[in-house]
Amino acid sequence: MRISARGTYLTPARLAWMTAALAAVLGLSLVGAALLGPVHVSLARALAGGDASPDRVILFRTRLPRVLLASVVGGSLGASGAALQGLLGNPLACPHVLGISGGAAVAGVVALVAGADAVSPLVPLAAFCGALASIAIVSGAARARGRTTPHAVLLVGVVFNALAAAVLMLVNALVSYTQAQGVLFWMMGSLSTQSYGLIAGSAVYSVVGLGWLVLHAHDLNLLTAGEEGAQQLGVDVERTRRSVFVASSLLVGAAVSMSGMIGFVGLIVPHLLRLILGPDHRLLLPASFLGGAAFLVWADTIARTVLAPAELPVGVVTALAGGPFFIFLLRRSLRRSVA
Amino acid sequence: MSRHALVLALLVAGCGGAPTPPPAGPPARVVSLAPSATEIVYALGAGARLVGVCGQCDRPAEVAQVPRVGGYLAPSVEATLAVRPDLVIAVPSPGNREAVRAIERAGVRVLVVRDRTLGDLWDSIPALAGALGIPEAGDGLVTDLRQRLDGVRARLAGVTPRRVLVVVDHNPLVVVGGGTLQDELITIAGGTNVVRDVGSAWPTITLELVVARAPEVIVDAGMGDEGSARGLFAGLTTVPAVRDGRIVRLRDDAFFRAGPRVADAAVALADAIHPGVLAPEGASREAPPG
Repeated sequence: MRISARGTYLTPARLAWMTAALAAVLGLSLVGAALLGPVHVSLARALAGGDASPDRVILFRTRLPRVLLASVVGGSLGASGAALQGLLGNPLACPHVLGISGGAAVAGVVALVAGADAVSPLVPLAAFCGALASIAIVSGAARARGRTTPHAVLLVGVVFNALAAAVLMLVNALVSYTQAQGVLFWMMGSLSTQSYGLIAGSAVYSVVGLGWLVLHAHDLNLLTAGEEGAQQLGVDVERTRRSVFVASSLLVGAAVSMSGMIGFVGLIVPHLLRLILGPDHRLLLPASFLGGAAFLVWADTIARTVLAPAELPVGVVTALAGGPFFIFLLRRSLRRSVA
Repeated sequence: MSRHALVLALLVAGCGGAPTPPPAGPPARVVSLAPSATEIVYALGAGARLVGVCGQCDRPAEVAQVPRVGGYLAPSVEATLAVRPDLVIAVPSPGNREAVRAIERAGVRVLVVRDRTLGDLWDSIPALAGALGIPEAGDGLVTDLRQRLDGVRARLAGVTPRRVLVVVDHNPLVVVGGGTLQDELITIAGGTNVVRDVGSAWPTITLELVVARAPEVIVDAGMGDEGSARGLFAGLTTVPAVRDGRIVRLRDDAFFRAGPRVADAAVALADAIHPGVLAPEGASREAPPG
């Protein structure tokens, strides 16, 4: 199936202008979200006070790292979702459906149960390897005679994801109550405060992944229009697929390893932006990164504040806020395309 | 009588009537489906009557000999009925509800006791003792436990309560909230739970709330290793517990069970919150095996 929307011709000026606008939105979101939280913080006291000021500790040691993490995770999920939807030509493609996040979660949980500490960097590292391994397994299983069929990738991915979920449930049934809490974390997804070092590490992975994807944006555009046509225009279809898979799993690995399986961002944000900005991947990929980042930053802000001082799982917010809004936009565009 | 009618009659007889006559006297074959209840049965001196326990029932040590009849929250109806119990003890939980109902339908007497708070314990001990036909043992156990808890309170009477946060999981950060046995134990052990008002029994909280509530002691009752809680809270220099190095491990399953070891849990917790106050001559922090 073809994903179509308002086709606006993408000029370099429009690309620069839109990217800058979204970057500004993200920047403002980061500042705004850092100022909101369950505890009231005075910015003046935070900036003036030394390390003895609770305001400063809250702002710079607990809230800002979490807001930054939300942006890295949201951006990674958004960009990888956009790339996978384009690559597989299927509107349902997203990191979760393809089993990449499931594989990452399984690896993380196995590391956890094997005795790695919940807050040690070993667990994200294992999850990251799990993401890479899953995409290798899924795309490998969907390959025959050197060709990868998109719908086979989707089917294998769906099955692999169900398999991963079953493994998570199995582990959940076998481990003790306290360890089961850790398994639940991977299944539900949650953002917590991490060290700046770990956040910077995952940011490096996601920026590399995004850059890699953007380099293939033009080929992705041609692929979306049709595989045969793309081949005739000189696109090495198999190589492009492999590159996009690896880049996407870099992004998903960076996201899931830090936050578990946060749903809806990778599915909704790219669609939303495609409806607004058009299907050109040169704009859509960076826009999905910036938009996904801003979306998750705000979803997490709601999760932190709405039940304050207790916290809500962020996946609840992404689904509750994203779902209806997405259906509204989709209906609007359906009406327009029918009229 | 036609064959169909005979089969029907047999079926009706098999389903409706009690398969075995109700035993006279106190139950002799007891199954416990909760670790807390198992411990209470042993403390009442009726451990020898247990013919089945749940997979998580690990105290006291003798219980290792008793057959398992499934998980704490997922008991096996068949395994339970197979040991022919005349009393099954369970705690209320959505996980075991269907299984417990099925056991009841099979004609076995079921006693459901709550195990969330100290109040539940004061109710469940007499209820269990009564059902086992040894009410005076129940009264004795309640009196003994109440006296030991009062003893802990009395010895901490002159001590200023410390502001305490008890962590049960690190990622996400899950802590002990109000309305729980653990919250009551914090109070008995000379602490004030800084997140008692947060709204649920086991709330997930943000790290910034830890900064805002500024606990003087952080008790880490989670699974992670020694360094993990220290790493999690390391940057929070304004929190007194972090500043003064009062992040204490508490590895004691008694803390999570409304059973006969609550007094031991209170002592262990008091040692964590006010080190050295309770027992200057070095009483052990380890919970006794029984």
